[in-house]
Amino acid sequence: MVILFRLLVFPGFLFLFFSAMLFDWVDRRVIARFQERVGPPWYQPFADFVKLLAKEDVLSTGAHATAASLLPVAALVAVLTAALYVPVGGIAVASFEGDLILVLFLLSVPAISYFLVGWISVGVYSVIGGNRSLLQYFSYEVPFLMALAAPAALSGTWSIARIVAYQGQTSWGLLMQPLGFILAMIGLVGKLKRDPLDIPKAKSEVIAGPLTEFSGRKLALWHLAMEMQTVVGIFLLVNLFVGDSRFFGWLPQLPVFGLKALALLVLLSMAAVLYARLRIDQLADLGWKILAPLALLQFVATLWIIGL
Amino acid sequence: MKTRFYPHTFAYLLPHIWRVLCKGACTVGFPFGEAKLPSGYRGVVKIKPELCRGCGLCVRDCPAFGIELEREGRDKFRLIYYPDRCAYCSQCETSCNFGAIYQVNEFVPATDRPDELRVVLVDRWPEEDSTADEDQTD
Amino acid sequence: MSKTIVPIGPQHPLLKEPVAFQITVEGEQVIDSAMRMGYVHRGIERLCEERTYVQDIHLLERVCGICSHVHATTYCRAVEALIGVEVPLRGVYLRALLCELERIHSHLLWLGVLARNIGFDTIFMYAWRDREIVLDIMEDLSGGRVSHAANVIGGVRVDLTEARREEILGELTFLDGQVARLLNVVEQEQSLRARTRDIGLLTLEQVRQYCVVGPVARASGLDVDFRRDSLQVPYDRLTFEVPVHDAGDVWARTLVRSQETVESLRLCRQILEDLPEGPTSARVPRRVKAGQAIARAEAPRGEVFYYVRSDGSDSPARVKVRTPTLTSLITLPVQLQEITMADVSVVLSGVDLCIACADR
Repeated sequence: MVILFRLLVFPGFLFLFFSAMLFDWVDRRVIARFQERVGPPWYQPFADFVKLLAKEDVLSTGAHATAASLLPVAALVAVLTAALYVPVGGIAVASFEGDLILVLFLLSVPAISYFLVGWISVGVYSVIGGNRSLLQYFSYEVPFLMALAAPAALSGTWSIARIVAYQGQTSWGLLMQPLGFILAMIGLVGKLKRDPLDIPKAKSEVIAGPLTEFSGRKLALWHLAMEMQTVVGIFLLVNLFVGDSRFFGWLPQLPVFGLKALALLVLLSMAAVLYARLRIDQLADLGWKILAPLALLQFVATLWIIGL
Repeated sequence: MKTRFYPHTFAYLLPHIWRVLCKGACTVGFPFGEAKLPSGYRGVVKIKPELCRGCGLCVRDCPAFGIELEREGRDKFRLIYYPDRCAYCSQCETSCNFGAIYQVNEFVPATDRPDELRVVLVDRWPEEDSTADEDQTD
Repeated sequence: MSKTIVPIGPQHPLLKEPVAFQITVEGEQVIDSAMRMGYVHRGIERLCEERTYVQDIHLLERVCGICSHVHATTYCRAVEALIGVEVPLRGVYLRALLCELERIHSHLLWLGVLARNIGFDTIFMYAWRDREIVLDIMEDLSGGRVSHAANVIGGVRVDLTEARREEILGELTFLDGQVARLLNVVEQEQSLRARTRDIGLLTLEQVRQYCVVGPVARASGLDVDFRRDSLQVPYDRLTFEVPVHDAGDVWARTLVRSQETVESLRLCRQILEDLPEGPTSARVPRRVKAGQAIARAEAPRGEVFYYVRSDGSDSPARVKVRTPTLTSLITLPVQLQEITMADVSVVLSGVDLCIACADR
């Protein structure tokens, strides 16, 4: 019964769904305020979701029908499975030694699905967008993984819960590895394909990227998967870099965790507001010439600290 | 294609964003209620029928063919205005030598009644003929 | 890698007006491009011959949705030259005021579109926010945000009261600050520069060869501006500078346009401060003598040219319009060489296309 509650309600599916909607709204609202606009009302993400669900499901002739239906489900399932292992305020559905690696693996499944859905489409924008998403994946993933491996190396464990516990004994990962935190945030922006790294779905270049020819339920599932990925990615970073709640010891864990997650979300919104979209070759340059060496430096520094 | 990197302008918009946050949004929600019109707004076309002499200058100059003149002889005419064709450019007001036709600073309401799309501005047509005529035009 | 043809237009998020490009790409690299236009051809030049001179003012104002006033003004100037009537000084000043306001509006709109196309929504929102101030001023002045219907043959039909003049000066002061802040961002922001540097290059020789006009030519180092070169009233009495850059890329065009916005604000201020007293329009005979006349003016996108021939009847025998966008359009095949797919949006927005002008 407890397991079922955890799977379906908290911190499982329902909780994730509502957090995804909340995060989407907060994100849009914050960006709107930065741009001197009012922004949408709180029910806008729900309205968008319901509207998409109600719309006619059209698939272009020549696209692989089975794959088109399976891929959004695969992305969603991977994100939901990853969510099981990411503790929310110290509560996780499941956990084992090495769940960080599993979560990282599962979080790259949506990226692969995203590329594949472009590949099976017949539209030229989808194909270009799909290729771009793969190129982007290779650019951000290495620094991102290295940045996330550094806390694990520092605390000597691959379990997210134990990394949080280790931070409880020492201090925030953010304070110990500020560079790693920045790299992880940039990597997360690339992973979530948010502005300014929304290269695979750049509107003025490839319309909506791989999802150009999708509508109805499939598009709704895609959007849900992407929004849930945002939530899971932010939760993961909160755990790894600001996991400890000792400073707020007298407060219950869950609201503190939520506040930290929202703070990271605002940082992401800020990045979306501050910069123009990068070109794909500029992103590759950034990824391999700046971020990857920095991540390496960070990792070596961490190893050196462990050695002391 | 080389692009140089200037670290001091890394987050250049930040102070601007801070300003905007302090100022508050400049967009508003849907403004229910009375609309505020700018002072020069060219709205509803009106006429002072007693001044109209049926010279037809407004008809000739109207770029949207929104005014028509039916006439028979010197004093027997009818000036008809079609709001759906009107571009609200106030050319008729400029063309009129007698100050008869003019636009006022009033909002033009939408309508779903076709009979409102034909307005007889000036009617100097003796009554007995006009009834038969109007049946045909409608 | 295989070649793919990417259609851009007639309907595409990148384009605000219908024009079609077929970009042949190899991976991300653009290797060829073809263009098709004419989707918004309305036959305006022919229609002009069927309508009277007065009706044509309003018809020609609808050539373009952004630079509407300058079209009507230039046409009116051609007809006034045919009739041989002198426009009162106040009328000339008010026409110039609307032209300059329109230039600010056009350049801010363009900046927003460029920013939007490179994924920089913040600049887009800020630019269009400031543009709204200009539109409000124009609406208050003439009654229309875009189609002002302010021109009559022989002058303008709108007038400014003294109180309104002071008010507009105040609004312009506020706009000054806003625009200065915005342009400061545009000039300094790194990611904007990274996207627009060395994209869409046009050399000075190419600009001469293709007869490019306006900000695109000025960004390539060609120092032309009809307002200054023609010594027209009222520009001969006002002081302003013509910004010229020689890089020839979209970045230089951004700089030229942003500095022009500042200059236009300066011009507006001067016009309002020296606004002469007197009538705004002259009485004009309705009959137009047989003959022909040309008129030119500096539109936001470059020089616009009108030729009007009269045969003594109610309507012109011929109206020929040459708009600045056409010259920019024919340089596009050159600009679309040796760039990547992502830069197509930058190039296309960089030349500030006005398809409605070009097609008419």
